[in-house]
Amino acid sequence: MLEALPRAHRIGPRRRLAVDVPATVNLVGALAKYLGLVFLFPTLVAVWYGESVWPFLAAGAITSGVGLAVERSTAGAGRRVGVREGFLAVSVAWLAAAAFVSLPYLFEGGDQLGHPIDAYFEAMSGVTTTGATVVTSYDDLPRSLDLWRAFTQWIGGMGVIVLAIAVLPRLRVGGRQMLESELPGPELAQLSDRIRHTARRLGIVYVALTAIEALALAALGWLGADAHMSTFEAVSHAFTTMPTGGFSTRAGSMSAFSDAAQWIVLVFMLLAGANFALMYRGFVRRRPRSFLRDEEFRLYVALALVASVALTAQVWGHGVAHGGDAVRAGAFQAVSILTTTGYASANFALWPTLLLLSLFALMFVGASAGSTGGSIKVARHLLTGKVLRRELDQTVSPEVVMPIRFNGAPVDERTLRAIVAFILLYVGAWVLGTGVIAIDSAITGAGLGTLDAIGAAASALGNIGPAFGSVGPMGSYAGLGDVSKLTLIGLMWAGRLEIIPVVVLLTRHYWRL
Amino acid sequence: MRVFLIGAGQVGSTILEALHSDHEITVLDTEMSRLQAVADRYDVTTHEGDGTSRRDLARAGVGSADLVLACTSRDEVNLVAGMFARREAPSATTVIRTSNVEYVELWRGGQLDVDFVVCSELETAHAISRIIGVPAARKTDVFADGQVQIVEFAVEEGASTEVTRLPLRDAKVPTDSKVAAIIGRSGTTLPGGDDVISPGDRIVVIGSPQAALEWSSLLAPNGGAVRDVVIFGAGRVGSQIVRVLLEQGIGLRMIEISREQARRAAEAFPKARVYRATGFEPDFLERERIGQAQAGIFAMRDDAKNQYGATLAKVHGIPFTIAIAHEAVSEAAFDQARIDVSVNPRRVTAEEIVRFALDPRTKQVAMLEGNRYEVLDVTTRDSSRYVGTAFRDMPVHGALIGAIVRNGAAVFPHGDDVLQVGDRVIVFTEAANVPWVVEAL
Repeated sequence: MLEALPRAHRIGPRRRLAVDVPATVNLVGALAKYLGLVFLFPTLVAVWYGESVWPFLAAGAITSGVGLAVERSTAGAGRRVGVREGFLAVSVAWLAAAAFVSLPYLFEGGDQLGHPIDAYFEAMSGVTTTGATVVTSYDDLPRSLDLWRAFTQWIGGMGVIVLAIAVLPRLRVGGRQMLESELPGPELAQLSDRIRHTARRLGIVYVALTAIEALALAALGWLGADAHMSTFEAVSHAFTTMPTGGFSTRAGSMSAFSDAAQWIVLVFMLLAGANFALMYRGFVRRRPRSFLRDEEFRLYVALALVASVALTAQVWGHGVAHGGDAVRAGAFQAVSILTTTGYASANFALWPTLLLLSLFALMFVGASAGSTGGSIKVARHLLTGKVLRRELDQTVSPEVVMPIRFNGAPVDERTLRAIVAFILLYVGAWVLGTGVIAIDSAITGAGLGTLDAIGAAASALGNIGPAFGSVGPMGSYAGLGDVSKLTLIGLMWAGRLEIIPVVVLLTRHYWRL
Repeated sequence: MRVFLIGAGQVGSTILEALHSDHEITVLDTEMSRLQAVADRYDVTTHEGDGTSRRDLARAGVGSADLVLACTSRDEVNLVAGMFARREAPSATTVIRTSNVEYVELWRGGQLDVDFVVCSELETAHAISRIIGVPAARKTDVFADGQVQIVEFAVEEGASTEVTRLPLRDAKVPTDSKVAAIIGRSGTTLPGGDDVISPGDRIVVIGSPQAALEWSSLLAPNGGAVRDVVIFGAGRVGSQIVRVLLEQGIGLRMIEISREQARRAAEAFPKARVYRATGFEPDFLERERIGQAQAGIFAMRDDAKNQYGATLAKVHGIPFTIAIAHEAVSEAAFDQARIDVSVNPRRVTAEEIVRFALDPRTKQVAMLEGNRYEVLDVTTRDSSRYVGTAFRDMPVHGALIGAIVRNGAAVFPHGDDVLQVGDRVIVFTEAANVPWVVEAL
């Protein structure tokens, strides 16, 4: 006999979506609302130089307006952005930010940046702090737009620090949880609280270092030590060094400036590639010993030294440059690529193949894990090395129990698996991107050879910027086909988010229960 | 002295055995049968009651005790009993037994209101480190948390001529150490500058652990340092042994069957090599060359496994085996099985607690050479005759100050140092001189 259940006991309706999309969109809207304020800076610059202000005012109004509208329309009680929503939020946030940032290029970019794909490429290259550019003729750009390019990288860099230290560890992306305890702070805080907390603390380091670099470079100009280094150039380059961005105001990148300027930039590139949480402890909290105690920092400095020496030897040996020039050329290029900044003090696209191979290898190293740099990063290489060593040890003695340690603390096995998975995905994304670009180039006939495609994909995925051949440091990505450009945009985006959030969005169980 | 003992288990009865003849003892326990057993054997007063009940403690007369020993097998009971005893008998010395090193650390930090905390695991570890910490040693004892060691060495034929075969005043004696006695064919001497250490003698050295190791390599150059000791079992006892031995710079390997405990041990001791294995598979023992170890320590929870493991290890070539005997009966069995040393944590703990039953100011801490010589641990009073005297000006009367412990740190005195009030002085002396030394200090 069938028994009628009381209504309250019936099972609920099926809710298929596992992600709170409105909450995520709401968060991105709120971020866009504030992003609109960023456009005030280039507006002031345009006023100063007597250039057109409306592209920035309009872009700012659109950004804030859209953000506000989206936020309003998705507002609702009880919504919260948790870990699950975090993957979607960061992915959408960077796509949206690049779209808003590209508006001034659309309005005023002219032939160089006016095309939507070019504008979006330049914007994505900016907010991901990559530094790949489609600009070919720098002198034709209004100064306000030129500074806007640099400024987008600086704003992107701030986002990257928050992403690297507050968000990705929480999302357990690519073994990032090893840095979970980097900053003392509320462990169980909501994502938005963590973002605020991290931004407030590490923002000090970021802003201060940028200011110091800008002053140091500007002083060269004021003292007459560098005829080309105007205050404008100094600020622009400070804006693109600290985020390891690499946009320059000159077609010749840093080669347009004096030796002293190059050395100053080199030092700040090194700093930008260090862990910001570590620099906060070392500089703000005044515990300089933290640097020596940090395993990743030690390896990072060692790698920078070894790479500099190796490149110097090759530059000298091949007769590209001699003496002090060789040291500077070697060290500058090594640090620039290692930290994924992407400046150049020499047109390395013209260097012998062996040197290019060294630079290419450096593209896969990357800077420290808590920095604005991209690529695989030193901490992951360090831990992968330890995992391999243990694997060899256990091949002989399977019973050996050997926890992997990072800065003395044991790292759990899930983190190690995540690191290995990250590296596999990273290489996979690079191979895939290379394939698409190579095929597109072959079909359109305009663009890159296969070897250059390999470099371009690695450079975009590692958020470095320049590659080899026609897309070298003095070249431009303008000549590539649309499919190649879109692919590179995708690689920059995925690389910046450390791939996994993007790939997670492609899995069925992320969306559906 | 009136001693109040809480807990009549294995540790309790070992303490009774040592103290019952000289002291007036009251025993409190919850189990009537255990009380009956000790009452049958010793002349003691027994009370049935709970150590965690202040009323029971008061009724049993804890208030009139001079020394309160809380040594049940449960830490919590001992802690609570110690606290209550402190309230009931403020002038008594309270000693509690624990199996958790954390309580020892708390006590050292001044956060536990008892006079002494004795930890079975720690005492066991110290006992084992005394056995293998100094390779050429025949006997050792440690004072002041291991900062001062008294070691008896056999002087072998190959001993370094830096210290042997020449007058002591010319010998290059390791810093922070003193030769307290030379035991030769002609008898024992408290040496002066003219005496000579010869092969075949035995000597007693007082010094820092570092100095003891230096002596060891001087006297037995072929013995070398202890580089490879294998420990079976990474439980509480095993981990504590590892901690103490690692501090001495001894190279260690650990074998533990439980995945969780092996992982924890590997995380806690980066310097030790940890295997997850039973330690009984011939394949494993052979492949990892366990037999090449200099010594094997068996600290598993099961005495039977310790015995089998030790025997198997001997078969595989480990020359020296130490096994933990949790049960008193196992010691005899281990002996039969030719295990070199067996260590019973409860006995070690009881022995340590017994030390406190003796005059707390003057502790007779070790006896050497059939009671002819004693090592005393004396705290100086402001009325001591030699306070303010430099060591070079003190008379030599068959007694030697080996070390002093000042503010918790060991100092190895040189001629110009001056004795201060409150110093703990570790003195090596002839038994006949004990009253004189105690009185003088």
